[in-house]
Amino acid sequence: MTDNPGTAARLGLLLAWIAVLALAGWALGRGLRMEEDLRRFLPTPRTPAQVLLVDELGEGPGSRVLLLALSGASPEAIAARSQAFRTALSARPEIALAANGEQGGLDAIPEHLRPYRYLLSPTLDSQPLDAAFLHDELQQRVQDLGSPAADLVEPLLPSDPTLETLRLAELWQPANAPQRHLGVWFDRAGTQALLLVQTHAAGFDSAGQQAAVAAIDAAFADSAQGLAEAAGVRLEISGPGAFAVAIRDRTEKEMRWIGTADTIGLLLLLGLAYRRWSMPLLGALPLASGGLAGLGAVALLFDGVHGITIAFGFTLIGVAQDYPIHFFSHLRPGQSPRASVRALWPTLITGVASTCIAYATFLFSGVEGLKQLAVFTITGLGVAAASTRWLLPRLVTPARRDPADSRVLSRLWRSVERLPRPRAALAVLAALALAVVAFAPGAFWQNDLARLTPVPPADLQRDAQLRAELGAPDVRFMLALQGADAEAVLQASEKLPAVLQKLQADSVLDGYDLAARYLPSIATQRARQAALPDTPQLRQALDEALVDLPFRGDAFEPFVEDVATARAAAPLTPADLAGTPLELAVSGLLLQGSDHATALVSLTGLHDPQALATAMAPLGAQLLDLKQASESLVAQWRVRLLAALAVAALLLAGTVWLALRAPRRVLRVLAPMALSTLLILAVLRALGVELNLFHLVSLILAAGLGLDYALFFDHAGDDRSEQLRTLHAVIVCSLTTLLVFSLLALSSIPVLRAIGGTVALGVAFNFALALLIARAPAVERSP
Amino acid sequence: MSARSNAGRWPLLALALALSGAATAATFDADWILQAVARPAPSRTVFVELRESPMLKQPLRLQGEYRRETDGRLVRQVSAPYAETTTLAGGEALVERAGRAPRRIALSQVPELMAVQAGFGALLAGDRELLRRTYDVRADGTREQWTLQLLPRDPRLARSLARIDLHGRGAELRCVESHPAKGPPQLTLMAGAAAAADGVTDATKLAALCHGAAR
Repeated sequence: MTDNPGTAARLGLLLAWIAVLALAGWALGRGLRMEEDLRRFLPTPRTPAQVLLVDELGEGPGSRVLLLALSGASPEAIAARSQAFRTALSARPEIALAANGEQGGLDAIPEHLRPYRYLLSPTLDSQPLDAAFLHDELQQRVQDLGSPAADLVEPLLPSDPTLETLRLAELWQPANAPQRHLGVWFDRAGTQALLLVQTHAAGFDSAGQQAAVAAIDAAFADSAQGLAEAAGVRLEISGPGAFAVAIRDRTEKEMRWIGTADTIGLLLLLGLAYRRWSMPLLGALPLASGGLAGLGAVALLFDGVHGITIAFGFTLIGVAQDYPIHFFSHLRPGQSPRASVRALWPTLITGVASTCIAYATFLFSGVEGLKQLAVFTITGLGVAAASTRWLLPRLVTPARRDPADSRVLSRLWRSVERLPRPRAALAVLAALALAVVAFAPGAFWQNDLARLTPVPPADLQRDAQLRAELGAPDVRFMLALQGADAEAVLQASEKLPAVLQKLQADSVLDGYDLAARYLPSIATQRARQAALPDTPQLRQALDEALVDLPFRGDAFEPFVEDVATARAAAPLTPADLAGTPLELAVSGLLLQGSDHATALVSLTGLHDPQALATAMAPLGAQLLDLKQASESLVAQWRVRLLAALAVAALLLAGTVWLALRAPRRVLRVLAPMALSTLLILAVLRALGVELNLFHLVSLILAAGLGLDYALFFDHAGDDRSEQLRTLHAVIVCSLTTLLVFSLLALSSIPVLRAIGGTVALGVAFNFALALLIARAPAVERSP
Repeated sequence: MSARSNAGRWPLLALALALSGAATAATFDADWILQAVARPAPSRTVFVELRESPMLKQPLRLQGEYRRETDGRLVRQVSAPYAETTTLAGGEALVERAGRAPRRIALSQVPELMAVQAGFGALLAGDRELLRRTYDVRADGTREQWTLQLLPRDPRLARSLARIDLHGRGAELRCVESHPAKGPPQLTLMAGAAAAADGVTDATKLAALCHGAAR
């Protein structure tokens, strides 16, 4: 008691500790760069599809597209709302592009590019710019001038009598656009206006998508102004980004009630176990310190912290919550807290060291995500253990009661002691579990990342319906063409439409879009230039065409000039499109690296991927299955993780061996966690659960918990009081862990359920098996 | 010229009109005209339209007829110098030309077309409410020789259309004079005026016919 500091010193240390944590939290909150893309967590890509997926695509242009539907009022009101909505949307910085079928008209083509219309439009490929063509076109222009819409057309005519500009604007409308009614896109039934929105944020960037969805909602609210009849219009948002936002909202909502229930439960549990109000607060400090230290270490050593590192990392260092509990349960009157922790330390450090050495194998896995995880957990566990050892004892006042004096515990322990040591039965159990794991029907692994964050079937169906109506690109399949530079891939992709149109007719697919639709190759542009008449030829054709028409002879001089400009202009390249509305369309479909380029063909309504792949292969285009590519990456990640775990298991056993130096003790400590792991797997397999990465990480946590339980039971030896204190500690540990993870298991989110269910099972099995196997053989040793 | 008056000023204007009407023998105001020119569907009236443009050697002279069908469609059928039928219905215009695929245009994208439907169409249909919602309506003249001024209320429409002057005699709408925001006014002569315009090519004479001065 002499070395115990006074109340003021304790309070000062406590406040200082909390202040350091708050400061670290604040600094990390400001400086930490979070990565959201799951693929950055996965191994280095190897197949071409994987390389494209990870290095260039993000998740593909399709993942940035949101599908919007307006309904719930008269078609006229909906159409008016759609127009106001589109205007409001295009003013939002989060929205790259908003289309609702309103003809872009001249806005699509910036003034300085207008003479290029003859190089960009395919009209003149099949039709020379001769007197007959001009006559036919000009005759229609006379009628246009006589129509009520004359004012709209008249300003264009002098330079563009064939209205090529309008034709281009129409051509550049999204491929397979829906029907236009009242000037905007409507579904086939004519009751819903449809819009396509492309976000700046990538599909996997759920924070960016959340901002985009919020911007859409705000623009929708704004667009109601001045439209009394359209006030009742409803907005629906679909697409990968909207789903990500919905699942994020749902997860946050569930985590809120789970967090609240956890906090209340833990306060009650720890309060009841120790009858001191300070214990729940003090018990939280080591874990909080470990988590922040882990984050800080990752932030220092890596470019950015991955969201998954944080999720997995906090799961894994959950074991550190047990450290202060072991300490608290071993406090007793007459012994200073520091003496208690010193007695406990060898056991605690054995658990921490063997776990950390095991996690160190992740550092050599060659996978960035696993390396981050290793740094996070090793730092986190180390700091949590060290603060339990050196800081916590200075804050805790000496105990007034000893858990070993509890009569309930004594009775409990006596009945535990009467339990048999069922060696044969456990061996049979292990064999049974192994059989279930091996022979249970159903797939062992679940590679589909999307299954972890499932979209309600009704929403998926609605998405498919909207996607079909809008002709929005497939988010899973696309074609890729690779070549030396942009010109090479543009030329190669110009050969595709002929075949694609045939496949369209054979209903292999409904539609496609490619960069060459907006920007022809330089070769094609040159061919079109060569086909343009020179100025004298054009003047002659024009004069011939104007003979019987009411136009003035000199009315079309600007047209003659534009054609001359187009004939002599340097062909357009992707760089010339910068800052124009075309840039967006082209940059999504034409990816340029330093030494190569990739042209993508987005697909709509793909009914027969195999037929498409076969037909496209001779043209050098490859069908990419993004889902398959990401699944193969997940599988690769798992193989690396399992290899690291195998090495980790050996290292862990070695460390325990070094610490305990008795084969029987080593076996008693390691058997419960090994058997528990097998039993958890058997239960999951028997229930038909396909295992994913989250199950795997949870199994590792469960094993870590089991190791600690067994180590402490082993440490208690045959001292009755120590056995009772250890029993107290392990009961409190397993109850708190069980509480937290059973609540997670109740969640409707598969990720949370996977973690919760696995760890809860692990706690139950490990507790029971540690009691059965690891408790010291008191009877055997008694003389 | 622009639609400066608004709903708040309307009672004042009505009062002014009532006062000026009191001067003539019979009561005369915009409502009277609107009631007089309305025709039960189906109705039809021939027209002669003149279109001026700096690109044209001489104004384009169109002949044809406007029809209002029982189902509310408004049809503008041009018969000379070419054949073209424009049907306005349900917020869309369907343009049919000989030998070409029909085209659909949303009225919302072509304010001029909307102006025709909500002006001329509403006038024939006697839909005073639609007319007054779209335009600020002012009447001038006498029952025997009146002018109805339509000033667009929608600023989008006002950007391309300054105003429409309707000229008539008694129950007969004789001329629609559309003043675009830029450029010369465009004339559409109707009914008796269209018949009187037969063979007349001189622009000033046609303008006089429109305004109702010459017989």
